[in-house]
Amino acid sequence: VSDGHGHHHPRPSSAVELRARALEALLAERGLVSTDAIDAVVELYENDVGPQNGAKVVARAWLDEAYRERLEADATLAIAELGFGGAEGDNMVVVANSPTVHNMVVCTLCSCYPWPVLGLPPTWYKSPPYRARAVSEPRAVLREFGLELSNGVEIRVWDSSAEVRYLVLPMRPDGTDGWSEDELAGVVTRDCMIGTAVPSARGPATT
Amino acid sequence: MDGVHDMGGMHGFGTVVETGGELAYHERWEPRVFAIQMLVGVQGLGAGPGGRPTREEMEPAAYLAASYYERWLYSAEQRLLRKGTIAPGDIEAMMERLGEGEAMPEHRDAAMAERMLENLQTRMPMDPAPEQARFGPGQRVRVKRMHPPGHTRCPRYARGAAGVVEAVRGADRLPDRAVYGEPVDSEPVYSVAFSSEELWGPSDEPGWVVSLDLWETYLEAA
Repeated sequence: VSDGHGHHHPRPSSAVELRARALEALLAERGLVSTDAIDAVVELYENDVGPQNGAKVVARAWLDEAYRERLEADATLAIAELGFGGAEGDNMVVVANSPTVHNMVVCTLCSCYPWPVLGLPPTWYKSPPYRARAVSEPRAVLREFGLELSNGVEIRVWDSSAEVRYLVLPMRPDGTDGWSEDELAGVVTRDCMIGTAVPSARGPATT
Repeated sequence: MDGVHDMGGMHGFGTVVETGGELAYHERWEPRVFAIQMLVGVQGLGAGPGGRPTREEMEPAAYLAASYYERWLYSAEQRLLRKGTIAPGDIEAMMERLGEGEAMPEHRDAAMAERMLENLQTRMPMDPAPEQARFGPGQRVRVKRMHPPGHTRCPRYARGAAGVVEAVRGADRLPDRAVYGEPVDSEPVYSVAFSSEELWGPSDEPGWVVSLDLWETYLEAA
């Protein structure tokens, strides 16, 4: 998807793309919105802000018990320690998985999502099926993602209906003893931090 | 507002996992519209109740037919029109010019880019929770029956249901009024946990818990 020059497309592929380009063109021609400001926002979320940030938070929490305690006490502050924060990350709450509790996050009304630690949400997170079903049949949704939880694990669904944004802290997978923070972060996928996957020492099974 | 955006529990939308669904977007215009919508806010070019409530005002069939960033395009346009920054017909006229092969105009302003990035870094935390909130952790509460015509953060599926307060998240202005520019004080926002049985009735699956963050106005003692 990243050609870096979307505003130079010579031939729009659809009516909506033409409409979007026309809006940008109108605002640029009138000097109201700068092309480089648009570029800067796009590049920020393509290059700098994404699930790699959240993965660092999770890996640090797995290695550093004191950090984990700070994270669970005030996630916004603890995440800021690693340099992450800002829009849609002002009121962070971290929910920790355990052998008996599995957390998953949704926004049924909109598509609220913790941008500073996860970037922009995947299409499925914003889609009607996920927004409809995550609260009313979470186990069926998790099965679609290939995650089958035993009946003894309670699912907790967090519907981000206000300004709080949630990050799931998954359990550290077996077989990762002695791993470095970077190695650990490498198995923490975006979906693990939304709660539709769990990390494995074998590496990312899904994105 | 009880629109189609309030999707919790609706049937018939099909499967979650679909090819391509893992990507944040598929076409270059999509993140650019995302950026434009943010710039409309930061540069004060729009009017009305904000991007999200504006998207909720879309006609229901149009909302469902639109992709995610088409809705953002809609809200950016509507907000610009309401402020008078653009006039009806302006976009169509530009579409025609671009369709005839005219070059895409550009505007360079590095300072605006810097302001935008700074704005994305600006923290906007909720107010701290008051010492004397009406409800406290462990208390049972019930979501009021309501049918608000405007923006609300109280999903339909929780109305009338009883749950347990688990935390006071902080204090925040009631969006039902604040998004329309009404002066309103902040009030406590509670994390309330509901059993699946309470929300959806019996299920063949083991029970689960759904937690919502709800403003005090939405709640009564149970």
